[in-house]
Amino acid sequence: MREISVIVNGRARKRMIKDNELLLDFLREKIEVRSVKAACWRGECGLCTVLMDGHLVKSCLVLAVEADRRDVRTVEGIADDGELTPIQSAFVRHGAAQCGFCTPAWVLATHELLRSNPHPSDADLVEATSGLVCRCGTYNQIREAVAEVSETKTGRQPRESLARTHRQ
Amino acid sequence: MSFGSPYTTLPDFEYHRPTSLDEVLGLLRQYGDEAKLMGGGVGLIAFMKERLMSPAHVIDVKEVKELKMLNSPPGKGLSIGAAVTLSELLEGGVLKKDYTVLHEALARVADPMIRRRATLVGNLCEAIPWVDSPPALIALDATVAIVGPEGKRTVPVSGFVRGPVDIDLGPSEMVTAVGIPQVKGAQGAFEKFTGGSEFSLASVAVMMSNGGRNRKARVVYGAVNSTPIRSAQVEEAIKDGITPGSVRKAADLASEKVECVDDVLATAAYRKHLLKVITVKVLRRMMSQ
Repeated sequence: MREISVIVNGRARKRMIKDNELLLDFLREKIEVRSVKAACWRGECGLCTVLMDGHLVKSCLVLAVEADRRDVRTVEGIADDGELTPIQSAFVRHGAAQCGFCTPAWVLATHELLRSNPHPSDADLVEATSGLVCRCGTYNQIREAVAEVSETKTGRQPRESLARTHRQ
Repeated sequence: MSFGSPYTTLPDFEYHRPTSLDEVLGLLRQYGDEAKLMGGGVGLIAFMKERLMSPAHVIDVKEVKELKMLNSPPGKGLSIGAAVTLSELLEGGVLKKDYTVLHEALARVADPMIRRRATLVGNLCEAIPWVDSPPALIALDATVAIVGPEGKRTVPVSGFVRGPVDIDLGPSEMVTAVGIPQVKGAQGAFEKFTGGSEFSLASVAVMMSNGGRNRKARVVYGAVNSTPIRSAQVEEAIKDGITPGSVRKAADLASEKVECVDDVLATAAYRKHLLKVITVKVLRRMMSQ
């Protein structure tokens, strides 16, 4: 056992852990951040995604001890003062969540994509989120939500491919 | 904690995070085959969950300065340290111009989150038949720099990967870097077929040197057998140029001559078919460039 201190959503959280503990277990069980979902446990579904030192990682493939003294952000940590972020509001408007299980990971990943690339193309979106799955199949709604945030920022008209999707 | 399945927990081990190469070598001397080195961990952690590996000691090399080196001295090729991640290689742009074959192979490994953690050396050392770096590295004549109790040695990647999960590395040895010789005036490309999964069922890495009388082609197939396979016949077919005729001939030869295995992912007959498909695909793309 050893003590680690992880800064989770801006707050230092100290806990005793075993060396073989996963960051995923630390977040869900030790400090009860339940938006981080445990599903495939093998880096395939991406629903345990968190930001570690500003980069998206799958927390089922990270040891808790590796996160010692690092900055970890989950979906709870991206909004200011309880206000929804633009991508969160867009998810709501476009019905981009169905059962909701994967939504925290998708919100986090698309939020991060829009931060680093404010006007992603369809290809950028597909590439950036290729490590995430949504078994309800809300991919089109997620794409519309991302497009809306991207376009609100420039006041541009929806791109042709997205407009077509919308009519389907 | 988890659901009690062996697939969600890790076996017990002690974690070490050395910061210098000497420290890593000291730990390896001390623990030998009780220890496993961890780069990004994406392979090791998955293997440990499946209980395919249960090392008593895990040595994380991410913070080792000497292993983070990514050097490209002018005219001297490229040296990629064991802790350099796939993202660092792809985003740094060092591969884009001369080492396209490796760039294309790595750009399609798993997804961006995995590539942010995974290292090239880790990918190579997994030596799983369907990983994509070995064929590309063999096409580039890459070598592996190894250090151990007996000193340093360098082996070609083609000899380093001996079989499935079998590499030329002693228990107290480690890979410090991959070296790629300088490439000049050559064209390279990589293609794979994954059938919708994330595992290659067949892959191909091609290097063509265009200039002068000394034309050379290098064609390496991956994921169809226990180790990557070079095909002298396919190389011969395209060495004088990629034309519609030579592409057809190369595709037929690949399918005919390259030995494929049956396994859980695909039958040998299906792989033979895929060899034809990816050979045409990669060569046509190179022809139009």
